[in-house]
Amino acid sequence: MDYCKPRTVDEALSSFGDDSVYIAGGTDLGVLLAEMLISPVGMIDLCAIDDMKGISRSDEGLTIGACTLISDIAAADDIPDCLSLGAAAIGSPQIRNMATIGGNICNASPCGDTLTPLMVLDAEFELKGAGGRRALAAGDFFRGPKKTALEPGEILTAVRIPAASLEGSITGFRMTGKRNGQVISQVNMAVWAVIIDGKIENIRISAGSVAPVPLRLIRCEKMLQGKTAAEIMKDAFMKNLAAAAEVEITPISDVRAGEDYRRSVSGALLVDIVTDLVSEGVKDED
Amino acid sequence: MSEKEFAIIGKPQQKVDGIELVTGKARFSGDLRFTGMLHGYAVRAGVPAGKLKSVDTTEALKVEGVLDVITASGLMGPNLMGILPPFDQQILAVDQIRYAGESVAFVVAETNAAAKRASRLVVADIERWEPILTTDAALADDARKIHENGNITFTKKLIKGDVESGFADADLIIENDYETSFQEHAYIEPEAVCAVPSGDNRITIYASCQSPYHLRGHIAANLGLPHSKVKVVQAYTGGSFGGKDDVAAEIGILAATAAVKLERPVMVAHDRDESIIGSNLRHAMKMHYKTGLKKDGTIVARKAELLLDGGAYASESPFVVMKALIHAAGPYCIPNVMIESTAVYTNKTYSGAFRGFGVPQVTFASESQLQEAADSLGISALDIRMKNALKPGDANATNQVFNESVGIRQTIEAVAERTAGFDTSASEDADYLYGTGYASLIQGISNGAEGIDVVGASVQMSQDGSVVVGAGLTELGQGARTVFAQIAAEVLGVPLNTVTARLVDTDSVHDSGATVASRATTTGGMAVMKAAEEVKDSLLSMAALMFKTEAENIVLKEGFAVLVFDDSARIPIPDVATAAYWTGFPLMNLAFSRAPDADYDHDTHQGTIYNAYNYGTHAMRIKIEKSTGRVEVLNHIASHDVGKVLNPLGLTGQVEGGSLIGFGLAHMEKVEYRDGFIQNANLADYAVPTVMDRIPTEVISVEEANPNGPYGAKGIGEPPVAGAAAAFANAVAAATGIRFRKIPVTREDILTAIRGK
Amino acid sequence: MKISFSCNGETRDIEAGAEIRALDILREDLGLTGTKEGCGKGECGACTILLDGKPVCSCLLPAPKLEGCEVVTVEGLKGPDGGLHPIQQAFLDTGAVQCGFCTPGMILSTKALLDTNPAPTVKEIETGLSGNICRCTGYGKIIEAVQLSAQRMRNE
Repeated sequence: MDYCKPRTVDEALSSFGDDSVYIAGGTDLGVLLAEMLISPVGMIDLCAIDDMKGISRSDEGLTIGACTLISDIAAADDIPDCLSLGAAAIGSPQIRNMATIGGNICNASPCGDTLTPLMVLDAEFELKGAGGRRALAAGDFFRGPKKTALEPGEILTAVRIPAASLEGSITGFRMTGKRNGQVISQVNMAVWAVIIDGKIENIRISAGSVAPVPLRLIRCEKMLQGKTAAEIMKDAFMKNLAAAAEVEITPISDVRAGEDYRRSVSGALLVDIVTDLVSEGVKDED
Repeated sequence: MSEKEFAIIGKPQQKVDGIELVTGKARFSGDLRFTGMLHGYAVRAGVPAGKLKSVDTTEALKVEGVLDVITASGLMGPNLMGILPPFDQQILAVDQIRYAGESVAFVVAETNAAAKRASRLVVADIERWEPILTTDAALADDARKIHENGNITFTKKLIKGDVESGFADADLIIENDYETSFQEHAYIEPEAVCAVPSGDNRITIYASCQSPYHLRGHIAANLGLPHSKVKVVQAYTGGSFGGKDDVAAEIGILAATAAVKLERPVMVAHDRDESIIGSNLRHAMKMHYKTGLKKDGTIVARKAELLLDGGAYASESPFVVMKALIHAAGPYCIPNVMIESTAVYTNKTYSGAFRGFGVPQVTFASESQLQEAADSLGISALDIRMKNALKPGDANATNQVFNESVGIRQTIEAVAERTAGFDTSASEDADYLYGTGYASLIQGISNGAEGIDVVGASVQMSQDGSVVVGAGLTELGQGARTVFAQIAAEVLGVPLNTVTARLVDTDSVHDSGATVASRATTTGGMAVMKAAEEVKDSLLSMAALMFKTEAENIVLKEGFAVLVFDDSARIPIPDVATAAYWTGFPLMNLAFSRAPDADYDHDTHQGTIYNAYNYGTHAMRIKIEKSTGRVEVLNHIASHDVGKVLNPLGLTGQVEGGSLIGFGLAHMEKVEYRDGFIQNANLADYAVPTVMDRIPTEVISVEEANPNGPYGAKGIGEPPVAGAAAAFANAVAAATGIRFRKIPVTREDILTAIRGK
Repeated sequence: MKISFSCNGETRDIEAGAEIRALDILREDLGLTGTKEGCGKGECGACTILLDGKPVCSCLLPAPKLEGCEVVTVEGLKGPDGGLHPIQQAFLDTGAVQCGFCTPGMILSTKALLDTNPAPTVKEIETGLSGNICRCTGYGKIIEAVQLSAQRMRNE
């Protein structure tokens, strides 16, 4: 198989042909190759494109190059918690040292652990193809299990998180799997919130592995919007919130978990994160 | 001999084969390279049941680098293998497909990649049949016969006393159904063999395997060669746990057939999915249990019906049927017992040996039911176990009486003492549930009823005093080579680092059967001891001549022959060995150990069956997160009567590792089938515990010497699996107040049950 | 294509396409069979190597990605006296090795951990080794081995 390692996005785009495949970390691609599910003729390695690496901050927000390693994102302390926690939840140290955030996004597995954090952070994906540059909201990018809005040959070059998602907000992430190490999410859940004077001014919630694509839980968000800590921290409210999450998702039963469990756990994870965030939000103001 | 006289036995010893393992120099089968070596890859049926009409290899043969595609007609022998005759397992499918992982053709190519590519071009024309996927379906009156003799693989009964009159006397009768799932061995090294024609009309097979003699027999038969023309050498073997026997024979036959045909070395190294789909699993079992007790907790009767899902082929099913049968009553003195144990064929991957061999499944059922009884009678977990535990002189379920080495009560006492140090109560706080589970177990050591129990071993000393030990049982990671070297060093009075214990080579010692049933230390150790004693006699005779005294005045210790009445009078053993050589005294001995034979009634399983039992008691305290069902094990005490600890380092490793496999069986691991296909044939979705899932096992050893084991030792490889699995199930019941009668009890099961309560 | 990289301190030039995995280069071309294949899909950690100091799964790494990198395999570990590396010695001393098939990967993950964190907590050790599955030991003695290596390496 031919292999090339372009230095620029344009060079990568011009190298692309019918039987080529882009590779970043290769942790998902390597499995497809091992199972002989694909047999490309050419491999284009995106990891030498400097413009696609690293985390940078500007007035507009945060830009994360698509080839930034998951381990670097997991270790970063100047990005929202939910994203670093999601990154840390992926695979194993070895996998995190190879895998990239762009790979996790483009693989579009419903259980990808950076996807729900990116959904709640209102991330925008920068895409570049033969037809030029375009930007897509995370919510518009995922089209189904392993399906995305990418056109053939198009490259995800960067992830942008708007400043509005960074300032004055707190975030949380939790997931559960069959075991504690090397876990594949049965359900993962990310929450972004702005809490002022003990009141939720704004909130976004996303659940993964509970539908063909990462879902925003709009009804749950509405339940929480404008509520005070005192209103939220009541058993009855939390029960209703969990119940709302359980009906808002559309999980299936598969080898990783049953539908019922996914529903129960979604509610529980949401309650846990909201409890943590609300307590933290109140504490921050003390 | 008093304890303090041992120089090497009973002291922690590093693995004698450890250096090559930590440096990566040890050559496992898949690491071997031979000039001209080819690679073989099997084409699987991909259909759980059907009639194989034809196999078209035309396109596969056109792939560059492919030398041959062998189908059933290309095999040279009967195309049959198995554990107990008459054999029922085909190596390459002829007519009927019995499980999805069945091999239909074998591609041989210059590279592994070419073989795999070509395998996809082999076209097997299979008429699909409705697969038989449950034991109920297999036993239905109108069920299709998976094998000519029907769908019952093997069935046996154990009858002691009169179970019905026992129940009539009982104050409390508890009756329930229990179920366990298939478990995958998941050794980290997938199976691999390499067959090398040696140019002298013989063939050598290097194998990752558990039973080199099984391989030799099956390979010879299927090549149409006498056994003497086949040599099997065990390569370093990356774990086995019972799993590298049938499958090693299967790929050994395929590799050897191709090697003979093409006159080139042939390697077969399984991928992980092949290792899961195409080699045996632990039997899934359905168990109906009924126990009758008096108010004071005395068990008066126990009845059980065991149904084992054996999958497509018999493999070890007959022996697992027997072992489950014999152990179904647990380590208790019960006057009336009636057990019926049956394995059936289904269209799934065949079941066979897996560490514990039927005992973990029945221990789960038996200990769950005993705990249910204790709870209804208001008796504590340890009291009810102590009340019924076997004592020396008691008749066990097979009516066999042991007058010594029955340490079950001591293991219960040890657990009671240790658990007194922490809170064992069932309790609850805002986020968590807490509970403690207990389980006692019994596990027969060595072959017992499973057949003749013999092991060959050789001990050889060179003129420089260094020693080579070779036993017919395999090192699988459990530390057999270390124990064999320890025994030889102890007998010969030499430092452990002067002893080399080599891997098994079928040319060099007598057929010693399989390294199974926790028998390596016990029966294998006895053979090594015997062989070493003979060499010791030569050394003593020589030293007697040198000291001009009688042999009984000399001891061998610290690398010297020493006069008993003058510790400073010492001759280095190398000098004695050199002199012995030149005097013509034998410095090598080939010995043979034979465990006491089983002698029992085959209809009732009453009589002498095993020559020793390991007994154990486990306690496990857990904490369950209410919101997710996630479990954390806070304490795990594993107490076993091991007869005598030969190597504390190796022994604790066996208990810790075995316990985690038991924990996996009870909590995490489940082979998921859909329509006869395994859905999780990988290590991501088949959840083997990682380091973050480990349990904090504390090992306690009770030493009730076994007269049939070296220095009193009994095996410890298998027993911890049953203890940890059953204790976990009882811990979950204690914490949640809900009795789960099916394992694994996963996070998902726990959460679903808690929410349903 | 030609690939040039450093393996255990030596420069290596090999010829391979992108269909070849780093694991195959090490085992087949360089004869370094201490790096094992347990699953071929990045799920067991037996194939772990250090790539520019970080543990990665060599079974998922296309060979051309080795270009210009520094690779350390288990064969590249040495102690100060040229004998066993302190981590290897600690694995022996604590009984952390049973079948030994996971051991090379486990030792390399330990090295990567201790190189960046000389005094890890138990939790950090668990996280650091969570990509390496061991089916034999139950892990307790492996944790002890890491703690003992850390202690010895700090005292050196």
